[in-house]
Amino acid sequence: MGLFDLGAGMTLAAGMKMPGIDEFLPQPLLFAGTPFAITRITLIRLIMTAIILIVLGITAHRATLIPGRWQGFVEYGMDFVREQIAVPALGESRADRYTGNLTMIFFVIFLFNLCEVIPGFDMPATAAIACPLVFAIWSVISYVGAGIRTRGLGGFLKEELFPSGVPWPIYIILAPINLLEVFIVRPFSLTVRLFANMIAGHLILAVCYAGTQFLLLSAQPRALAGASILTLAGGLAMTLFEIFVGGLQAYIFAVLTANYIALSTPETVSGDAPEQVDKRAERSAQVAGNARQAALATA
Amino acid sequence: MLTIAASSGLSLFLPDTADLLWSTVVLVILIIFFAKFFMPKFNAIFDERAKRIQGRMDEAEKAQAQARKAREEYEDKLARAQQEASHIRDDARAEASHIISDARSRAEATSRQLTENAQKAIDSQRDKAIEQLKSDMGNVATTLAGQILGQKLEDSDVQSDMIDSLISDMEKRGNADKADEKADAHK
Repeated sequence: MGLFDLGAGMTLAAGMKMPGIDEFLPQPLLFAGTPFAITRITLIRLIMTAIILIVLGITAHRATLIPGRWQGFVEYGMDFVREQIAVPALGESRADRYTGNLTMIFFVIFLFNLCEVIPGFDMPATAAIACPLVFAIWSVISYVGAGIRTRGLGGFLKEELFPSGVPWPIYIILAPINLLEVFIVRPFSLTVRLFANMIAGHLILAVCYAGTQFLLLSAQPRALAGASILTLAGGLAMTLFEIFVGGLQAYIFAVLTANYIALSTPETVSGDAPEQVDKRAERSAQVAGNARQAALATA
Repeated sequence: MLTIAASSGLSLFLPDTADLLWSTVVLVILIIFFAKFFMPKFNAIFDERAKRIQGRMDEAEKAQAQARKAREEYEDKLARAQQEASHIRDDARAEASHIISDARSRAEATSRQLTENAQKAIDSQRDKAIEQLKSDMGNVATTLAGQILGQKLEDSDVQSDMIDSLISDMEKRGNADKADEKADAHK
């Protein structure tokens, strides 16, 4: 019971209203009952999208050779995606083709996550499963598309499902596992990791602030009101932490997508030596492992 | 309570149709925005910047090469000028010593000439004086001889007187000379 019960806005004996999962299943605000129903989270997502389009659109439209402060900041973000996500996973030669897509994934997921701590929104735009899901599906489209483009549909499926160097009977179990891995497990893990992190983050913040309100205004005995300072400080600290988590989750999502693209596009096509490919694959696996661990740690 | 929690907890992971639709719409818009506008715009700027920087670097390299060449040329010229200067100095020195020795030899020649001329003039003057003296003495001797001869022709007595007086005179002069000599010796 208590904190661990995800019951809808359950009320404690003392009268404290706990945030529950109902917040993530809001009632539609517009077009209720139609496929175009817009809930609070959808609205946040649409507004954030409009902000992204307007701000980045104006930035790109006015972009000059000698960047100002804001343009420099945006370029720093783009450089981060290229140098920290695209190039380590894909190598210089392949990075250019996919940097744009990875930039979109990182920027948009990060900004959607950031809605969690933006006053007025107070809810990540990624906090409804549909949003992480379509991003994960886009990730699948990206790496499957990249694989098909470089090796053709048959070549891609053959190498993904029947990797060379394995005795043929193993294929009986390996092929279905790989099929699941490529088309189900990867997108599912991407979706749930992002979604669960944002849900958890929002709940923590909501508990901190709800607790502050409760302790300050209605806790009995009144001496407990002083403890509200602790929950408020916790809320502020968690806000900073959630900004970090929002960035980290966007980073993980982009890094994993980059690594999946790297796995489905053999680097030898672009003329690199095989041992380099091995090294890079090793490194990619390591990065993916680290990202997974970080994700688990924050979840 | 628990059943509600379980059912709503599960529904949390079931995508809502409307939400899927809006998420897809948003994603497609963002993909198109990034792929068709944002990234090309910035990539063009990055490329242009790289090109400019490359151009700047090439330019700098060219300028450096030019500067190096100019310096080499300058140093070459300087070395040549120094060489030329030292050459000129040597020439000048040689010429100067030449001029000096020339002047000295000319001066020596002139002085010798002058000395010779002077000697010649002196010699000719002396010769002339001797000549003059000779002719004068001749005249005097002639005159004297004429006078002597004239008196002899007039009177033999006179002549003998004159010879006598002449002899006495000569004796007197001889004594006087002796006396003088004695006096000089005494002195």
